[in-house]
Amino acid sequence: MNYIKKLTKAREASSLFFLIFLFVIVGCINTSFLTASNIVACFNDSVVFTLLAVGMAFVIFIGEIDVSVGANLGFTASVVGSLLRDGHSLVFSFGAGILIGALIGLINGWGVAVLNIPSLIFTLGTNGVLRGLIYVYTDGAWVENLPAAFTAFASRPLAGGVTVYYSVSIAAIIVIHILLTRTKKGKYFIAVGDNAGGATLVGIPTGRTKIAAYVLCGVFAALASILYASRIGFITAIAGNGYEMKAIAACVIGGISLSGGLGSVIGASVGAVIMSSVSRILVFMGFSSDYDNTITGIMLITIVVLDALMQRHAAERIRRERLLARSSKMSEEKEGN
Amino acid sequence: MAAEKGKEEKVLLSIRNIHKSFSLNQVLRGINLELREGEVLSLIGGNGAGKSTLMKIIMGIYQPDEGSIQIRGKQVNLSKPSVALANGIYMVPQEPMLFPNMTVEENIVIGFEEKSAELHKRLVDRMQEVGWNIDLTRKASSLSIAEQQLVEILRGLLRQAQVLILDEPTSALTFDEAESLFRCVSDLRSKGIGIIYITHRLTEVFEISTSVAIMRDGVITLSGGVEEFTKEALVRGLLPADSDKEKESKEKEAYTIDYSQEPVLELRDLSGYGFNHVSLKLYPGEILGVAGVVGAGRTELATTIFGRDKVLGGKVFLNGKDITGLSTRKVIEAGLNYVPEDRHLHGLFKIADVAVNTTSALLQEKIMGSLILNRKKEREVTQKYIDDFRIKVTGQSQLTGSLSGGNQQKIVIGRSLSTLPKVVILDEPTRGIDAGARGDVYTIIHELRKLGVSVLLISSDMEEIVELSDRVVSVFQGCINAEFQKKDINQDNLMAAAFDVKTEKEVGA
Amino acid sequence: MNKRKTAFLNWETFLLGILVMEFVVFGVKNSKFLMPRVLLASVNDFIAICFIALFVTFVMITGGIDIQAASIVGLTSIIIGVGWQDGGMNIWLAAALAVAAAAVCGALSGFFIAYCGVQAMVVTLGGSFLYAGFALLVSNFSATEAYQGISGFPDSFKVISKFKLFDVIPSQLLVFLVLIVIAYILLHKTKYGRSIFLVGINQEAAEYSGVNTRLVILSTYVLSAVSAALAGIMLTSYLGTAKSDLGANLTLNIITAVVLGGTLSTGGKGSVLGTALASLVIGILRFGLPLCFKVNTQYLDIPVGILLLVVVIGRAVVSRPGTLAFLHKLKRR
Repeated sequence: MNYIKKLTKAREASSLFFLIFLFVIVGCINTSFLTASNIVACFNDSVVFTLLAVGMAFVIFIGEIDVSVGANLGFTASVVGSLLRDGHSLVFSFGAGILIGALIGLINGWGVAVLNIPSLIFTLGTNGVLRGLIYVYTDGAWVENLPAAFTAFASRPLAGGVTVYYSVSIAAIIVIHILLTRTKKGKYFIAVGDNAGGATLVGIPTGRTKIAAYVLCGVFAALASILYASRIGFITAIAGNGYEMKAIAACVIGGISLSGGLGSVIGASVGAVIMSSVSRILVFMGFSSDYDNTITGIMLITIVVLDALMQRHAAERIRRERLLARSSKMSEEKEGN
Repeated sequence: MAAEKGKEEKVLLSIRNIHKSFSLNQVLRGINLELREGEVLSLIGGNGAGKSTLMKIIMGIYQPDEGSIQIRGKQVNLSKPSVALANGIYMVPQEPMLFPNMTVEENIVIGFEEKSAELHKRLVDRMQEVGWNIDLTRKASSLSIAEQQLVEILRGLLRQAQVLILDEPTSALTFDEAESLFRCVSDLRSKGIGIIYITHRLTEVFEISTSVAIMRDGVITLSGGVEEFTKEALVRGLLPADSDKEKESKEKEAYTIDYSQEPVLELRDLSGYGFNHVSLKLYPGEILGVAGVVGAGRTELATTIFGRDKVLGGKVFLNGKDITGLSTRKVIEAGLNYVPEDRHLHGLFKIADVAVNTTSALLQEKIMGSLILNRKKEREVTQKYIDDFRIKVTGQSQLTGSLSGGNQQKIVIGRSLSTLPKVVILDEPTRGIDAGARGDVYTIIHELRKLGVSVLLISSDMEEIVELSDRVVSVFQGCINAEFQKKDINQDNLMAAAFDVKTEKEVGA
Repeated sequence: MNKRKTAFLNWETFLLGILVMEFVVFGVKNSKFLMPRVLLASVNDFIAICFIALFVTFVMITGGIDIQAASIVGLTSIIIGVGWQDGGMNIWLAAALAVAAAAVCGALSGFFIAYCGVQAMVVTLGGSFLYAGFALLVSNFSATEAYQGISGFPDSFKVISKFKLFDVIPSQLLVFLVLIVIAYILLHKTKYGRSIFLVGINQEAAEYSGVNTRLVILSTYVLSAVSAALAGIMLTSYLGTAKSDLGANLTLNIITAVVLGGTLSTGGKGSVLGTALASLVIGILRFGLPLCFKVNTQYLDIPVGILLLVVVIGRAVVSRPGTLAFLHKLKRR
């Protein structure tokens, strides 16, 4: 009972309810939306965003942002794709990709945690450099002719139509969630974003935690890029353009607070499903999928504004209670006397 | 000192000759302190005495310039908080530093390496040991301040803290909560834990501590077992050594206030966040001192009048005009200005120059131009205050961040006068500034009455209040607990009232 | 003794130096670069950066950031096109409507930032989605397919980008000069400009001085949106086509121009002249590299991104306590 209560109270639960609510509403308007295959497709299609959002979640947990993940994905996908195309082994290609992703994360983490540069500005810079590097690396040409086995694997279902990719991703995310909430070091991310001063006082290495968050974000972007390459089958020079925005939006929709310290990777993955389903939903409701971005923008702004207002209200309430407690004592004591 | 036989108390913490300065400001000037097992050492002292700096050094947040720290007789280098923690030191800060979005249990066990089941058991054991009951699954953001403090203390206990520092723990507690905290402190004492207890409340000193130390201007001026002291002795110890020599001020003598006039500022039963039912009258040309300790609600009173926070009840009249709940802009226009307590946070624009700072409150007024900024006027106004207040600057375009505290303060005062107010509220006008500048500020305050400006002088420096005020009210825990006419204004009376100690002289609140 | 002024002067002189160096290097490498016609025609490629950066400077001085301005360029363009072609409006009325719509967009974001206390970064991030979405929405009212763009504008509209003073100086540059003067007076000469600095240096202290800080913050977002609208009008006129995705990918360039121009990313400090020079430095770089060094235009985000990183890393390193102590030691010796 207690457990259920706790579950319904969690922030990610409200996003899950929102997801179900959304699907039901769309289903009422167009019943063909609620077919099993369509719903499964919603989840399968979200896999790239899911990984990006989970990586982004680490960075948002610590109260920062990373707008270079889209370019990171594009660049890493180009490298991994070209290595595979040129006949290198899976292990080598994937390893190279993950290493690149981690390195990009390390650079971002260094700029933000060590040099104290505002994360938006720093990652905007790395984003620009990476975008250009994609052109340098590919000469602007598409990376095509990926091994057929690699691209075919993308649609291989594991059970009930759910792809191997999505199932494995979700399993991994659940493991990560457990690590984050049950282990000592896992809690550092949330702690640093929740109260950086308090974290230092209890002896948490805040700088290293921040760098770790960025490295993880980079690694997840690299993993997402591998799935991206496999699913799409070719990589253009603008691959991943704007994905950073979608990853951030997915986190916010999934109940992660942009001021840090609040939310879970489960929430991020639910948010990613909502995010990536928007265009499909629009089509089923008879609109053009062009409005995808508009809807995302509206959702993003609505949620952050509501969240900010609620947090400000709560902070103000605590401050006032504190002041009232101080001044009311006098009268109490007098009455006591 | 008087260790009984067979109960040789071990020295937990020994601090030798600690010095610390921030740039030119010497905050600690040779601190020696010892804490033994089962000792509750009350550390009292005025604001700016250096208590919090000393505690931050013990916690490893600051490093001392000089001196050594020994823990259980072993020399330690407390280079960062985690080292202090490892050495069994834990500080419960004045404002609890919990993670608001985590549960109580997560808050307590964070940073440990052990298995969580084991930690949980230890935590529950500890709680039973000290007899507390708190729901471990609650979120920290839902806790009251007292509960947050208990969580902080549990955090310390679970870390096997032998030295527990409590920084003004009762400042935000209700009476009952404070009582339960005292019980917990005596429990801990009986378990051999050494406690440094920082407080402003002298009653508490006698209630819970075994020894007491008074800090003033970066040195410990007085210390010993609590039984050696009385409240009056503590009050005297808090005062500067030369306080017996009451300084005569000729200007003060020459000026008499006409109390038959209409008051220029009147508060009627004003309540807000941090203060309750405050009524007072300020007469033309008067300097009304508002004594009390930090956290008594004086700043909240001032900022609420100034339109920064919500009025919960009562009225404010300025020259008979109701200014209750007006915006800051309107209050300034009506003729009241405020010199904030924290000039760094609320006063200065550090990376802007002297002229920008001096004229910032004047910016909205017509004389600074209707659209285009009137630079000539800006220079005139700035130069006037630079000359009048003898502000030492290389020029009007010097950045205020590079000025000394005294000159910064003069600029902030100049700004508040630039709007030609009828009433100025000065909140701790000489905090953190040197003696020379202090004299200048006093001269400025005296000059004000010649201009017909009335002053509400909020200060925790009793000497300052004695020197300047025509009349004094004392604020204690959000209420006015005493009022002194000129002849009764002396440091003993004020200090006693600020700590709510009743003296024979006093008629009673 | 006047440390700040000289430091600023130095920075602006430094930017001017870089600009001159660009001219020399590009000119030596390829003499075509220095031909007035070629050089002056190049402004079309980066004039939007110049316009918008000027007013994003205001936003960043208050301590905020604006990454939505680029999306407002496209919105403006498509409103003009649809209003004129499908709404049957006078072209100037359509342009005025576009500016008004941009101002509303800026005010909306500004309201959320100033009055609801949401981080500027998130709101303008959401805004960049939202206003790009609005642009698409508007384009769907048109009979013309979105990818084609709306064209065939009257000559009177096209002339605002085709006009050349003395047959050489393009109107874009003239408008830019006018905007620099306006922005300079507004920021450095008016009471409003002063309050922008006060808000950015210390919002609390500004409140205690009686400044309506929230309104000031909101207004800067309106200004930056309006400048984006002007850029949208200029681009639409020059290209002769109204498109909803005009101006996409400008964000990096705009932010780099503002930061390179000497504006502190934490707010409180910045100058119109610095931003103006920096946007020219970036613009000339984007023009000269492909022309003189055969750098693919697709690569141009690399130098701009590196420029941004070098500036912020450089400032961070210089302001580190360790570095300061080191410099101090050097001085003593």
